[in-house]
Amino acid sequence: ARMGHNSPNLLWKITLNFTDLHVSKSLFSLLLPSPHFSVCVRAQMGDRKVDQNGPMRVLVTGGTGLVGRAIEHVVKEEGGAREGEEWIFLSSKDANLMDMGETRAVFQKHQPTHIIHLAAMVGGLFKNMRANLDFWRNNIYINDNVLQAAHEVDAVRVVSCLSTCIFPDKTTYPIDETMIHNGPPHESNYGYAYAKRMIDVHNRAYHQKHGRCYTAVIPTNVFGPHDNFNIEDGHVLPGLIHKAYIAQKEGSPLVVWGSGTPRRQFIYSLDLARLFLWVLREYHEVDPIILSVGEEDEVSIKEAAEAVVEALGFKGQVTYDTTKSDGQFKKTASNAKLLQHHPNFTFTPFKQALKQTCDWFVANYDNARK
Amino acid sequence: FIGETEPMRVLVTGGSGLVGKAIEHVVKQEGGCLEGEQWTFLSSKEANLVDLQQTRAVFEKYRPTHVIHLAAKVGGLYLHMKENLHFLRDNLRINDNVLQTSHERGVTKVVSCLSSCIFPDKTTYPIDESMIHNGPPHDSNFGYSHAKRMIDIQNRGYFAQHGRRYTAVIPTNVYGPYDNFNFENGHVLSALMHKTYAAKKEGTPLQVWGSGTPRRQFIYSLDVARLFLWVLREYDEIDPIILSVGEEEELPIKDAVEMIADALDFKGQIVFDTSKSDGQMKKTASNAKLRRYLPDFTFTPLSEGIKKTCDWFVNNYDIART
Repeated sequence: ARMGHNSPNLLWKITLNFTDLHVSKSLFSLLLPSPHFSVCVRAQMGDRKVDQNGPMRVLVTGGTGLVGRAIEHVVKEEGGAREGEEWIFLSSKDANLMDMGETRAVFQKHQPTHIIHLAAMVGGLFKNMRANLDFWRNNIYINDNVLQAAHEVDAVRVVSCLSTCIFPDKTTYPIDETMIHNGPPHESNYGYAYAKRMIDVHNRAYHQKHGRCYTAVIPTNVFGPHDNFNIEDGHVLPGLIHKAYIAQKEGSPLVVWGSGTPRRQFIYSLDLARLFLWVLREYHEVDPIILSVGEEDEVSIKEAAEAVVEALGFKGQVTYDTTKSDGQFKKTASNAKLLQHHPNFTFTPFKQALKQTCDWFVANYDNARK
Repeated sequence: FIGETEPMRVLVTGGSGLVGKAIEHVVKQEGGCLEGEQWTFLSSKEANLVDLQQTRAVFEKYRPTHVIHLAAKVGGLYLHMKENLHFLRDNLRINDNVLQTSHERGVTKVVSCLSSCIFPDKTTYPIDESMIHNGPPHDSNFGYSHAKRMIDIQNRGYFAQHGRRYTAVIPTNVYGPYDNFNFENGHVLSALMHKTYAAKKEGTPLQVWGSGTPRRQFIYSLDVARLFLWVLREYDEIDPIILSVGEEEELPIKDAVEMIADALDFKGQIVFDTSKSDGQMKKTASNAKLRRYLPDFTFTPLSEGIKKTCDWFVNNYDIART
């Protein structure tokens, strides 16, 4: 295992047989100061000898969504894929991951060595509020099926996708990775939140029982091309972009739901995709990692609306419908862990990323999900 | 909803376990069953509730109007520590299968069974019903704990989306006849009873795992059963309710060991193996909510409950789960 965490100058390469794993775990706890540092060791498990030096076969569930498309872009257009690697982008047409049989079948078919697990039932504030039970049940099934199927095909890595909206509602700020389970999530999306939190519980349990290095990332609010721009069900930025586009066409005011005062950290989908690839290749902890711009880049919904107006050249009136729910007031997350591991990463400036997204939406209006 | 004007048809999942058998006793021997009611006690032999099809089939067969949901993958401290993944996954499936099938078939009420071991580890005491999700559970059984906590989430979801009045109870440490008395996998009191019995037979010392200092509130299975029936009939909230003796009844494992030795008339040496894990030091739960509803409920005194359980164990050694 390569440990860049506490001792950046040390490079340990240790190959263990499965039977050595328990002895070696206590060795690691002697070497490492943090008792909660779950290190992933390379181990040969079961019948399948997974050669970590061989090319990866990566299965991306939810491959046609906002983040999946961004990863596909990075892999295919930005040289994100390495020689000999195979990248497969799954959509719900290929398999209904809520069904164990279909999940197993698609994993058996592709025999992935690595999985980026993005598939989920997702939605914006208002959709969540209507259907917490469904969000909980469907996501629990998807996640359990994917992790178990991955384990069964002996995949070495699964990187799942959580979200900062799953953190405790009553909390100190900034939120960090250690705080996920420290209290109930916001009432508006408790179903989704608890289901996503369970991924972290599953990861720890798979590590404890089988030594698996399955982990998760925690992005803040993601935006970009290929998002769901549906006004009722989409997230805040695509919702605003779509509304502003229509308002512009019809010469009507842009009505922003809520007061505009809640604050968010927005991360561009392409930045997230680049970071996902780094996590897949270089991040070896079972504990999750927040992927976000810094706290100082948090903006209010009002500022985001104004940036959308600017990007689309909208000249009409902007009003705020305060009868609509605001959702959580803030969810300020710390990206200190990311910066510690990956100090040189540069985020796309917000206005630039927003402009690119708006341009994409206008150019692809007919095909965009709305 | 069905079942509101017709007599109840109650399905008890996990009906052959510690609590299931106690409910059966109360229903059949103590007049717990009302005129015209039908009570079915399921065991895993009849249906594997981890499997959705089998769950649906057994609900189709018995067409319950009410469900007491006790079935779970359970065990004592040492089994949990080894099997968090298994306990997490299987219990999530069992609970979803039972609750969703109940909903699909229009079951009026489901009373599920949580446990005080699922509460946050770092907490103030006493623990009460509002605190379930306030922090991570103890590390020793995180898989089981998270899965059980989710029952409460599901109950809230079924109510918000479908108006279902599904709820849950939270007992502290339950003990009684028909428990799992296995040394390795059983809960503390049952395992100790078996060990004491064996030590007495073999003339060896009684080896208690851990220091004996952790504190617990023990509740006799028949008391849990009587309270379960009250919850099924009278308790209307979606939020769960703790079923326990009071905080003042909490005592160290050591004291319970002495009661067991008395009950089994064990005269040998008692040794505490402190190399074995103690688990949580305490999980003191408040029964204030229960007392508001049932100020006059009388719990079986611990020494009496232990004596009855030990007598049952000695008389039923051959059929007891060991």
